[in-house]
Amino acid sequence: MPTVGPSTLDFRDFFFVAPEMLLAVWGLVVLLLDLWLARRLDPAARRLWVGRVALAGTGLAFAVALAVGLVPLMARAYPEDAGSWLSKSTLDYLFDTDPSLFSGTLAGDLQVGAFDLLYIVLLGLIVGLSRAWSFTEEWGEFLALLFWATVGMMLLSAAEELITLFVALETMTICLYLATALEKTRRRSAEAGLKYFIYGSVSSALFLFGLSYVYGLTGTTHLSAIRRLLVEAQQSGLTANAAGATAVLLILAGFGFKIAAVPFHQWAPDAYEGAPAPAAAWIATGSKIASLIAFMKVFANALEPWASPDSNVLRPGWIGIVAVVAAVTMTYGNLAALRQRNFKRMLAYSSIAHGGYLLVGVIAVGLAADVSRAAGAVLFYLVVYAFANLGAFAAAAWLARDKESDQIDDLNGLGRKQPLLAICITLLMLSLIGIPPLGGFFGKLYVFMEALDERTASRGSISLVWLVGLALLNSVVSAFYYVRVLRAMFLREPAGKPMAAADRLIALPILLSTAVVVGAGLTPDLLMGVMQAAAAPMLTTPIVVHKLTAPTPVGPPAPKKPTPAFQYSADQMKKMGQMATGGAGPPGGGGPAPKAKAGTKSATPKSKAQAPASKKAENRP
Amino acid sequence: MGSDIPLSWFLLFAAATFAIGIIGVITRKNPIAVLMAIEIMLSAANVNLVAFWRYGPERLDSGPIAGIVLAIMVITVAAAEVAVGIGLVILCYRRWQAADVDRYDSMAG
Amino acid sequence: MARILFLVIAGVGLTSALSTVLSRNLVRAAVSLAGFFFTVACLFILLEAEFLAALQVLIYVGAVSILLMFGIMLTRGVQGTDLVSGPSAARLPGIVVGLVVFAVLGYAIFEEKGLRTQYSWGALDERTAIARGSKEPGSPLRSAVNNMGKVVGVELMTRYVIAFELAGLLLTAALVGAVAVAHREEDETRSTGSGVPPEKPEPTADKPNP
Repeated sequence: MPTVGPSTLDFRDFFFVAPEMLLAVWGLVVLLLDLWLARRLDPAARRLWVGRVALAGTGLAFAVALAVGLVPLMARAYPEDAGSWLSKSTLDYLFDTDPSLFSGTLAGDLQVGAFDLLYIVLLGLIVGLSRAWSFTEEWGEFLALLFWATVGMMLLSAAEELITLFVALETMTICLYLATALEKTRRRSAEAGLKYFIYGSVSSALFLFGLSYVYGLTGTTHLSAIRRLLVEAQQSGLTANAAGATAVLLILAGFGFKIAAVPFHQWAPDAYEGAPAPAAAWIATGSKIASLIAFMKVFANALEPWASPDSNVLRPGWIGIVAVVAAVTMTYGNLAALRQRNFKRMLAYSSIAHGGYLLVGVIAVGLAADVSRAAGAVLFYLVVYAFANLGAFAAAAWLARDKESDQIDDLNGLGRKQPLLAICITLLMLSLIGIPPLGGFFGKLYVFMEALDERTASRGSISLVWLVGLALLNSVVSAFYYVRVLRAMFLREPAGKPMAAADRLIALPILLSTAVVVGAGLTPDLLMGVMQAAAAPMLTTPIVVHKLTAPTPVGPPAPKKPTPAFQYSADQMKKMGQMATGGAGPPGGGGPAPKAKAGTKSATPKSKAQAPASKKAENRP
Repeated sequence: MGSDIPLSWFLLFAAATFAIGIIGVITRKNPIAVLMAIEIMLSAANVNLVAFWRYGPERLDSGPIAGIVLAIMVITVAAAEVAVGIGLVILCYRRWQAADVDRYDSMAG
Repeated sequence: MARILFLVIAGVGLTSALSTVLSRNLVRAAVSLAGFFFTVACLFILLEAEFLAALQVLIYVGAVSILLMFGIMLTRGVQGTDLVSGPSAARLPGIVVGLVVFAVLGYAIFEEKGLRTQYSWGALDERTAIARGSKEPGSPLRSAVNNMGKVVGVELMTRYVIAFELAGLLLTAALVGAVAVAHREEDETRSTGSGVPPEKPEPTADKPNP
């Protein structure tokens, strides 16, 4: 029987997906516990207990994710000590140059670790928020779906390969459709779930058809391999490439839906308004972060050769299309948000508008000379946006708990009743507008500066000035509807049923979000540094090609090695180190850089095309 | 082998069924009918994938059967989507006593 | 011969797909859909992916169609007439959009120049040859065609293990969630004794149309 390529499974790779596995299993634990408690406790006690166990799960997942991130760093920093508590093969594994897991389907680097932690923190806050009041009877199911959606998000932002990416995307959204519909005492929750589901399924069908064309064009599903092929084909832009253009449009439709870009935004207002506040918060934050990361990976990494930066906007290339989508998205989102009286619905339109700003950032990434800086700006924006939105949704949950409604007018007089939290919400709103000392300002500043960067502009004659100008104008417009919230809180008399004091489940997300937003505003360099380090491997991860190619057709099948995964022999390592210091080596550090170390992997994207080839040649016995 | 089926025939079939699926998504109001149209679109993509797998050059970056694996995943996802979709449709039907996407309008769009 | 077979299958497939989309009777649409799935399975056999054809029949024809049929029966009565979809005239825009999509895709297929290969999609008349001589160890593609089940198993357990595990999680989530969403809350209120009214009145705040 002939061998089928060296596709092997290295069980040590599972170490890096431990947080995902833990969350998946914990979802089941929560579900079973809920079933077991259902007939033993009254609903309120059951809710608290199930929530408590779920919170414990997120805490555990946080610890595991931290360990996954720290162990390789520790092992690298103190290799002698590490030798005493890690086995030789594990140590070798941690020093492997290849940052990819599972034959290159997942990335296992700092970006993934940092965002895993972010998702888990956000999930913990959202689980806490769900405990705050009773909106559904299906506690176990609701929390389990949130957990599993998180697994989808984590793998989506780690995926380096289209099949894994597709399945992760579907896992995330299907869990969110269901979580949206679970507030069964209200009709609009069911309606929101169905609308979200129908729009989502249509868009994933479009997305998939686009993927099938990409697979047909390149014959591969690995992002870096796609990019390599497109670079080799020397096709700049999509001129005279109708199939590629179709694929780009269809994939854009899929991602555009996930980040609620016009014209695929129709589901968002209904889903945000109808979904229970924690589910809406998870749609607005986690799902958006993960989709945007995947979007950047596919467009700014795999399909970057089709970006067409060297001509005017009208020349086909995804940058032109995305620029138009971004312009329409932010304008529409802001104008529509002006007319909303419902707090969650307003947040939905504002989230559409922020999607537009983020798309400007993606364009900058596609054009940028320094990819990691541009992508870092987008990630910075995403983090700040996510926390600000989470705090806002916590306020919405507060309204839903005490007023069973979520109109902006229900916030009337909050400033007098709850001054501290009202001030926190004020800061969050100001950050969403982009008022200077807050994180949102620096997010916008970085993204727009990247778009206006001279080197970016010089690389292509495309001018993003009009887009940035429109974005600034939109930011001004957005102030009107955010200020409406502040006006309600501070200038109006309280009316109707008074709001009870927020317990810590609601107060904590608001306070923590405010802390993050203010902290990101006071020391933007700190967060930006982390985000740039995270972005560096994300868009430039060199997938080591020898793991992926089959043995040459002629010749006997390779003998079985004791360790299935490829490992460098000592002299190969040395040779690669020399190559790297000589400057002609493969990017990705070449030398024995450990996993989870970002700096050494910040390869320039230009030389990436040649890199795998040189590696391949070098490692051929 | 001169009488082999050209690749473009499969692709055209997939394109035609995809377009039919889009027609269904646009024209149908019944959510289950929309669901059926979505299934047609997913199947169209699957035909593409398998045809590209069989006709494409032998590239092994993603293994010998990347297209097939993706098609299997699509079948799985489609099954899950149908289950979820039917669940949601039944939920909405109980609320409105109607299966019509235009009647579900408790929120102004 | 193969071409004639393809044309017959494709004709049946397109007819049943059209009938699914245009039929006013939902039950008939579902039956046509099962027929369409079956023709897709036949195409998979023409493409030498028998394993996938078997999966297609088992899952789509066997499970998905039946599930859809149940959905129709549960929501529309046994007749299954789709009373809500508009008259034929109202479908015209949709049909025009569909034709445009088909035209664009067809143009794309024949316009494709071959990204880095010598041939393009439009000119590729023969599938990749796999019988290159019996002495060779055999190309991976050949063993994939001849031994699909095994290769699929190996790939799902090695290279695509994360996608595979995640698909399992997805199915679990869909199952759990669909049951949670669809089961009646009357049973729930009785079992927990919470006495939550099944329908809380919606807040009647006026929401302006944006």
